[in-house]
Amino acid sequence: MASPVIAPTRTDEPSGDERTERDLPWQVIVWNDPVTLMSYVVFVLRKLFGYNEAKATKLMLQVHHEGRAVVASGPRERAEFDVSRLHAHGLQATLAQE
Amino acid sequence: MRSFRRRGDGLIAVRLSAREHALLASLPQQIAALLTGESESSAVRVRLFPPAYDEPEHEQEYRQLMDDELLDDRMAALRTFAETLEQGSVKRGVWQTELTPEAANAWLSTTNDARLALGVVAGITTETQWEEPDEENPTHMTLMYLGWLQEQLLSVLMRGIAAGEPPGGE
Repeated sequence: MASPVIAPTRTDEPSGDERTERDLPWQVIVWNDPVTLMSYVVFVLRKLFGYNEAKATKLMLQVHHEGRAVVASGPRERAEFDVSRLHAHGLQATLAQE
Repeated sequence: MRSFRRRGDGLIAVRLSAREHALLASLPQQIAALLTGESESSAVRVRLFPPAYDEPEHEQEYRQLMDDELLDDRMAALRTFAETLEQGSVKRGVWQTELTPEAANAWLSTTNDARLALGVVAGITTETQWEEPDEENPTHMTLMYLGWLQEQLLSVLMRGIAAGEPPGGE
């Protein structure tokens, strides 16, 4: 997965739909864990987010090799809900604003 | 011997040796003690209830909002797991039963929680520690066994997800 980093695109001239800090999306981040099975991580990502096998596997490998991966992003309430579902499944997940 | 097999009626058939059954039956009490426990289980609790936020104020709100629910879900899965282990029948040293999809999820959840808890107890902090498991260490051996069992259950459950999934994922 290309990590969905949204570059700060603000220029000096405030645009009509100026984004405040409040509006920036929150990222759902899954962290590596030495005990959790790779296939379990793939299963949980598919189950919770409906990702296909290729996408879930790519994200799992990113977690495995890079230590973390952004698995979803959106409004804070949604991101927090996703984190709580990942926690219910035993994955180490956090949310943070971009 | 395959431990899990999805039957035509949607139930998952389980076949385990009496020894495996006994090991699994010993887990619910251990995990419940670690989850709710008085013992020195705080490291296990941190792993099973990991932080959601870096920012302390947000984290405190999250804990207040979610901890009871997360604990209740785990305890419910643990009860379902324990109940299914009390059912079934033993023939010639092989224990058999059937799991509903809900019970199969409880098995996955509880075996995973058990592995996370045992990983903390065994002090496993890096993947490389798996390359040479200590065969004299019963906690390592239980972790390996539960991982092997979980892989088998996952391969059965994954086929269920693949069959019901709309193409394209996202």
